[in-house]
Formats: sequence, C-alpha cells, structure tokens
Amino acid sequence: MRLSALLCAGRLRLPPGYRHGTWRPDTAAAQHRNPPGLRRRKIFVEPIAEEDWKVFRGDTVQVLAGKDAGKQAMVTQVVRARNWVVVEGLNTHYRYVNRTAKYAGTYIASEAPLLLSQISLVDPEDRKPTEVEWRYTEEGERVRVSLRSGRIIPLPLWQRWDGIVPEQWIDGPKDTAVEDALDKTYLPSLKTFEEEIMDAMGIVETRRAKKSYWY
Amino acid sequence: MLLMLNLFHKNLAKVEPFHQLKFLHTTLSRKGLEEFFDDPRNWGEKNVKSGDAWNIKQLRGKSSEDLHKLWYVLLKEKNMLLTLEQESKRQLRPMPSPERLEKVEKSMKNIDLVVREREIALRLLQTGHEKPVPGEWRNDFLGRTYWYTYKEWPIPWYLNKKYKKRKFYYLPHVNHFIRLRLEKSLRRRVRRQNLEKTRQKVLERKFPHLAVKSQS
Repeated sequence: MRLSALLCAGRLRLPPGYRHGTWRPDTAAAQHRNPPGLRRRKIFVEPIAEEDWKVFRGDTVQVLAGKDAGKQAMVTQVVRARNWVVVEGLNTHYRYVNRTAKYAGTYIASEAPLLLSQISLVDPEDRKPTEVEWRYTEEGERVRVSLRSGRIIPLPLWQRWDGIVPEQWIDGPKDTAVEDALDKTYLPSLKTFEEEIMDAMGIVETRRAKKSYWY
Repeated sequence: MLLMLNLFHKNLAKVEPFHQLKFLHTTLSRKGLEEFFDDPRNWGEKNVKSGDAWNIKQLRGKSSEDLHKLWYVLLKEKNMLLTLEQESKRQLRPMPSPERLEKVEKSMKNIDLVVREREIALRLLQTGHEKPVPGEWRNDFLGRTYWYTYKEWPIPWYLNKKYKKRKFYYLPHVNHFIRLRLEKSLRRRVRRQNLEKTRQKVLERKFPHLAVKSQS
C-alpha cells in the first residue's frame, strides 16, 4: 500500500505562484495565460480544508451578492484553488466569440465566477438559503445538514468527467466484462511473481549464477 | 513505409481504400503484422469507444498468471496505439481517441505497482528488508551524505580499479564548506518559515475570522 501511495502523486506539477483561472491547467487557454516563468501578484484565498468543502457541481445555490442577488441556479463549475463557483446563467457579462477578420463574432453571455462567501446552499424543501454543516447520520454516512431546519441536503449526482454512466455501458470487443474484472483469482503464496510464472509455464532454471560481488 | 512493403504479393487479395490508411490488403493474418493495427471496422472512425483503465483494486485480486497475460495484452494494444499515433502524425490528422493510450499506460503502471507491492511484502516477511538492493549511507568527496546502493560486480572491490578511484571520504579542508552549506540551508528554512508567517498574517488581516479561530 505504501508504494502506491508514494507514486500516486504523479499528476501535473504547477509552479508555486500559479494563478488559477476558470480553465483546467492542461488546456491550451490556461497554458497561453500562464506561460512558464510568469510571475503574477499573489491572490490570497481563504484556506478551506478539503473535507470542509460543501459546494459541488450540480448543486442548487442562491446568489447572495452581486448583480443577480437573490436568484437560484445550478453550479456548473467549481475552482477550489480560488474558492470559485460558476453558476449557470447568473452574474453574466457579454462578449463576442469566434471573431474573424470578416465576421464580428457571436454576442454571448458568459458567467463570471462567484466566491464562496457570495453563495449559499439552498434547503431542498424550503428553497431558502441556509447555513450548512457536515454531520454523520446514524448509519455513519457523512451528509450535509442545513442548520436552520435540520434537513439533509443530498449530494448532486456525480458524473464522470467523460460523461459515461457505468450502469449503461455496453462492453466493446476489447473490454473485459464486470464479473471477469472483479473475479478474484489471487492465492497468496510464499513464491515471488517470477517463480509463480515459471511454475505455470513449466520453465526450469538449471543454470547456476556465477559468484558476483555487491558493493 | 510499412504499407509499401507488399508482403502479401503471393495471394490474390482484394484491395480496399480506407479513409485513414491507404490501400491495404485484407487477407488472412500473415506474419502477425495485423496485430499492429486496429480492427478494420474501426479504420477511418473519428472516435473509438473504449472502457475504463484497470483499477489497482481489481488488479490486486488477480493471480500472477493473469497479470502476466494481461501485461502482454496491454503491451500489444499499446504498440497498436503507438503505430496509430505515428501514422496520424505522418498524415497530419488527429489521432482517434488518444485517451486509449493513457488508459493502457495507466493499467500497465498499475500492474507494475501491484507486482512490486507483492514482492516487497514477501521480502519483508522473509528478510525484513524493504529495498530489493542493499545499500548504506556514505560520504562523498564534497562532504555530503547520501544513500549509496550496492551494485553487482564480477570482481571483488580490491581488484576493481574504477571503484578504488572513487572517494567515499572527504579531507579536512572540506569542513569549512560543510559549515557554509549548513548555514545556507538554515537560512533557507528560516526564510521559508518567515514567508509562511507573513502570509498567515496577511490572511488574518483579510479574513479576520481566521485570527479569531486561532486564538480560541
């Protein structure tokens, strides 16, 4: 277990003063805005522990401050590094996209991100903004509980990043079936991997290693 | 290039042009080269559907034989995808579904991890050591201490001219530089700690509730 935990941190390493935007760091737009060697003024973000994070993509929230204060909508994007939440259709400004030399561009409304302090989760039955806390149910499940009424706010449906729903997946010719993948064939034994393979394939090693020195 | 080599000239083959690759004979498998290419039904597609990568949890329940066979299956698939990638670069077209390559590499890395975990567990049981190769802490000629892993040699150390030339000790004049290095590292550590303290102060100024929490 320890080895895999050590080697799991092989994800993208961002420079220390990286300024996060609404784009993912591996997209072309993010790389254009943050070229290597760029140093920008540091933005101070209120530190929130990962287990205390309450807002997820797909949640219904109400905007408390700004142009669209008092309106409720769904969260489309969350940027934890900046404590940002992008809400669908609210806090919009207008811009032109796909501009060419001949074409002026399409005039669209684009949402600006909102800070966590300008957002509040909504009680599912009341549909009013509430303060939320993480608590444990009697079964031991960790849930979000609204402090005013005590109702549980269910987590939004978690979708995979590629939009695939595992229950509706039809296996292709090269895919392994679920039962075969979860089938446990491992029998712990005091033989190394190489020895087990040699036994299975009937390889007998009769050569003797020459004397070697380790230093 | 590969396609120009007419390996199937002995058979009367029907030739079909495809979008992605040029004319290729569709005969029976000769010399096994067809394994470098995808299923002919997928040729010319923009997106090819593929399942998820193998999880470590799923792989931990598999026997050594299964892992061994899976490794080679994944290797062949990786070769096929790499040929596809190279051919798309040559034809200046986007590769269909490049995430397949990432999934295959991730699965192979997971298999390697599982095998290494089992090996380490067995070694810990039998010998009590975690590392496959023994080693020790040694000093180099600059006064730095580092972990030296033993290497396998055919001759003992007192006959090894290359090894005897290496210096695993330092002379007294190096002590001055060790001290300078120590001072530098201490200064760096103090600078880092001061930076964290100033950052914390700025955060408390901007978000006063953090200061209240740290006091209480």
